[in-house]
Amino acid sequence: MFEDDETLQMYIEESLEHLSDIESDLLTIEEAGKNIDLDLVNNVFRAAHSIKGGAGFMGLTTIKELAHHLENVLGLIRNQELTPDSNRISVLLKGFDELETLLNNIQTSNEADISHHIQALEKSTHSSVPEDSSVPEEKQEMVDIVLSDGRKFQQISMHEITRSTAEGKNLFLVEYDLINDIHRKGKNPIDVLRSLQKTGTIIDARTDCDCAGTLDQNSAPVRIPLQVLFASIIEYDMAETLFDISDRYIHAVTDEMLVLSDAARPGAHLAAMPAGEAAVPREQTAAPAPGETNAPESVSFVKSPAPENIPAAAASTAAEQPSATKTGKSENEIQLGQKPQSSLRVNVGLLDTLMNLAGELVLGRNQLLQGVNSANTKATELSSQRIDMITSELQEAIMRTRMQPIANILNKFSRVVRDMSHQLGKSIELQIIGKEVELDKTILEAINDPLTHLVRNSVDHGIETPMEREQMGKDATGTITLKAFHDAGQVNLIISDDGRGLVPEKIAKAAIGKGLVTDQQVEEMSEKAKMELIFLPGFSTAREVTDVSGRGVGMDVVVTNIQSLGGIIELDSTPGQGTDIQIKLPLTLAIIPSQITSVGKERYALPQVNLKELLRIPAAQVKDKIEKVGDAAVVRLRGELLPLLNLSQMLGIEKTFVDSETGEEHNDRRKSLADRRSKKLLPAEDPAGSAPVEEHEERSGKDRRYRASSAMNIAVVSAGAFKYGLVVDQLHDSEEIVVKPVGRHLKKCTAYAGATIMGDGKVALILDISNLAQMAELATVSEVGQMALTAEDETETNRDRAALLTFKNSDTGHFAAPLNLVERIERIKTADIERIGDRKVVQYRGGSLPLYELSQVADVDSLPEKEQQEVVVFKVKNQELGLMVTPPVETMEVVLNVDETTLKQPAISGSMVINGHTTLLVDIFEMVKILNPDWFAREALAAADMAENGEKILLFAEDSAFFRNQVKKYMEEDGFKIIEAEDGLIAWELLKERVDEIDLVVTDLEMPNMDGFELTRRIKNDPQFSHLKVIALTSLASEAHIEKGNSVGIDEYEIKLDREKLMTVIRRHLHLSR
Amino acid sequence: MAHATTQDTTVETIEFSTFYVGGALCGINILHIQEINKNADITQVPQAAEYVKGILNLRGRIVTIIDLGAKLGLEPVAETKDNRNIIVNSEDEHIGLLVDAISDVVPASRDAIEPSPSNIGSIKGRFFTGVLKTEKQLIGILDIDEVLKE
Repeated sequence: MFEDDETLQMYIEESLEHLSDIESDLLTIEEAGKNIDLDLVNNVFRAAHSIKGGAGFMGLTTIKELAHHLENVLGLIRNQELTPDSNRISVLLKGFDELETLLNNIQTSNEADISHHIQALEKSTHSSVPEDSSVPEEKQEMVDIVLSDGRKFQQISMHEITRSTAEGKNLFLVEYDLINDIHRKGKNPIDVLRSLQKTGTIIDARTDCDCAGTLDQNSAPVRIPLQVLFASIIEYDMAETLFDISDRYIHAVTDEMLVLSDAARPGAHLAAMPAGEAAVPREQTAAPAPGETNAPESVSFVKSPAPENIPAAAASTAAEQPSATKTGKSENEIQLGQKPQSSLRVNVGLLDTLMNLAGELVLGRNQLLQGVNSANTKATELSSQRIDMITSELQEAIMRTRMQPIANILNKFSRVVRDMSHQLGKSIELQIIGKEVELDKTILEAINDPLTHLVRNSVDHGIETPMEREQMGKDATGTITLKAFHDAGQVNLIISDDGRGLVPEKIAKAAIGKGLVTDQQVEEMSEKAKMELIFLPGFSTAREVTDVSGRGVGMDVVVTNIQSLGGIIELDSTPGQGTDIQIKLPLTLAIIPSQITSVGKERYALPQVNLKELLRIPAAQVKDKIEKVGDAAVVRLRGELLPLLNLSQMLGIEKTFVDSETGEEHNDRRKSLADRRSKKLLPAEDPAGSAPVEEHEERSGKDRRYRASSAMNIAVVSAGAFKYGLVVDQLHDSEEIVVKPVGRHLKKCTAYAGATIMGDGKVALILDISNLAQMAELATVSEVGQMALTAEDETETNRDRAALLTFKNSDTGHFAAPLNLVERIERIKTADIERIGDRKVVQYRGGSLPLYELSQVADVDSLPEKEQQEVVVFKVKNQELGLMVTPPVETMEVVLNVDETTLKQPAISGSMVINGHTTLLVDIFEMVKILNPDWFAREALAAADMAENGEKILLFAEDSAFFRNQVKKYMEEDGFKIIEAEDGLIAWELLKERVDEIDLVVTDLEMPNMDGFELTRRIKNDPQFSHLKVIALTSLASEAHIEKGNSVGIDEYEIKLDREKLMTVIRRHLHLSR
Repeated sequence: MAHATTQDTTVETIEFSTFYVGGALCGINILHIQEINKNADITQVPQAAEYVKGILNLRGRIVTIIDLGAKLGLEPVAETKDNRNIIVNSEDEHIGLLVDAISDVVPASRDAIEPSPSNIGSIKGRFFTGVLKTEKQLIGILDIDEVLKE
């Protein structure tokens, strides 16, 4: 019997491990069908066999029996007597599932009812049952063992014997003498049997109580035999040592000794075998010696048939008795153990690493102590560095011990998908990529359920039936892909299917129907926002609650679960094409990288997973950047409105600022975020970049509001459907923090995910980004409001936005130029400027940079005299030139709304209002052309050349009149002829009419009626036009855009207003030389 | 803290660590006390109940500090140099009780403890397990688990 809990635990773990492999193996076997891969079948067979063996050893009868039946079926498959068809595999899978359940509930396993599994398994063998596979029959087949001296050991189950020999075990019949071998040696029979069971299996054990005689007989018994039929891998020559008795009493059982029981005499008494040469006639046996009090115990232990008159029935059940005994025992033993602690397998190499590190840590500590004691600063520094290093390594190594490959949970999805697709009549292939990615054990366990839900959703709602798929022109077999990979210190999981995708309108309608949102809100939503409605609590798209998924709990539970792990979930879907769900998870929960921020006097840690970016809005720009929508403050970030939460207001902290001159703290008197002024966005990720600006402002301004301390620090965070800016007083470093739980009195403070101890020993709270959003009621309704804002904003982004560099010429004149032409901005000393004739140059990087000012080409004020001069360096025709300007020089993204008439003049393409100033847009090319006409000589030549050799005609689609005119001008100057179109649809019509003339298409991407993507798709899909090259013009080329463009067939991407590159590309595609 | 339980052998004698909170003299069975310290480095927890003074780092453990005055419905403990945190162990958690000042350790036999009246001063009677009369004063014996119930 198993000695301790540990053995049992090990058995369970090992068995579960076997089971996890079995599943995927079985699925592969099923796939292979008749072409049986014997190795694989053998694997499964062996696994089932070891589970069975262990269960027998542990006395887990139910498990043993189930495993035995599974093994039988597998054995038949191995011998090619059965074909592993889908039904049989299903039965096997279910059987193994039950086995897993039993193993997980080991305490109650023996009471579990497994009869239907047994029946199913037996049924599946029915078609070709070999005679010996039927268990009940086996049980009835009894043999006697006839010893050389003619004695018999009767009624042994032949099945048990054949099984033992099949396992390569040797059979022994051991005759102990309860008196001499056991009692006199200070043992008791139970111990003897137990120790035997460590080395083999006791098939049967019997005492011959008749030999013990009765009390009224005088003579002491010479021998009370305890006969044990024992199967073990131990060799015969070792047996004597093992059993610790004379080899006379050890009989090796050979096949010849087995004789079929005489079924006609089932009543033959068990004690037919006299007790060896010392056999005592029954009459002689006397009362047991005093020590024989053990005897009754031993009798009950092995449940030997009752002494004296053995009923006939007892004999026939004898074979089953050992197992019954084991059952009783195992229950007792297990109850002692109660719930076993879960354990983890750790690579020994890793353990060695840990040991080494621990050793190094001790050395480091010694060094540190020595350094401190001798006040040796250098030594202390060195050892602290060393300890720092060791600690990081130690942390990493310990974390690795908790890391488990994600395959552990991903693999089981093959089964989920298989079973469900059978049930739903779908044909689905599951691809798993990145099995080797490792995750913390806790996280791994926690994402199991959400993942299952998502996969089930994909199978149930995502993938269509084969018929539907064929009608849509897709492969009848759908594909679900599970992909895991590391990215930016996080684990990404993508569940994608090529199914029907999410239909935003349908979702929106359902959400309205359920009263989750209003019509109005939906109208203002973007497609993505509509799809994200499925994350709302109470949402479930399945029209009927199916058996498979849709049990009223929906995606909101998935979202909550993932968020509670500090993860993020994102959704992307194309109707008819499929759905991608991306989950980002932290590698571990205990130690998390965080951004440290502070409000008032306290520091707060902000988990890096939630952090998108850091924004610093200089004091001068706060008023322009921060807008008010209703009561809420928002900031415009790259065309998106981002709601702002003020952490100090949220938490009710007195806001303070430190007076930079006196160092005193004052309460901040500002009431709202917008009570500051000016604009501009500087990504604060680069604090070095923003620092000089502040210094500058601090020097120049006497106004309190210009001080650096009144710049606004925003951490842009996201958690699930929430994305917002968290306004804090200060942004500090990014640190790895150790999450510590907080006490019960703080459990109600949902704003915190825990606390951590900072380097100085003080405690900092960790913010819970998702709960903060809920506290601020950024929740569902207002969140939808926010979506509406985004949607409204998107219509704006659909119009042309361009990145501009704004600057001043004199103190009053505001100018702007396209940012993409700008190489860099320099500040030079006016004294360094050299004048050569009427030209100005400055020596720069070994060459000279020509300097110009706007007043040279346009009718504007000339530059004021200063000590220093800001120079914007442009690059045109591979040559640099500097334009002297007056600061502030800023970059900004604006919607181009250009007035091309009112203020038009040479080198100025038009005017527009930016931040309340009428700003003139400088046409850099025209400026260069005026200043250096010879730089463009080649263009003129090319144009002339083209005029001679036949014109090239370009179709140009662009909705913004400004860009249309600008770009058209470049192209015409280079000798091209242009057909203009105001949007994609017009372009398409024009193309159909004049296809013969057109040589190339240049199109904007964002256009009303038909966008550039659609136009390109049509062109490329129509054989009449597909020969035409399409060049896309865009103001901001994002990766996603480019990918989308490539998929529809856009040949080239160019940035608007980058004249040179555009023209080069056009020429290249038309095979024109320059 | 050095006053260990020397008289613990006689079960009848209990030692009480006494302290002042809101003018009242209260006592806690010394066996419930983990340590007494004077750690001012408390991190405030905005939004927590008003009796939560904050949290502090006690050798790597995060300990919630409860303003005992506020918790008992008295005046919050004023910041003075005599303030102490009494760290007690309650429901497997270390919790700090901020008190005005600490006083002596008073040994008393179990018999000397009388049932508590319905209130002591203005503190509700349910917070007390009993009162101990000494020659000079009445000491209210606090029921830590009751006091620390949320």
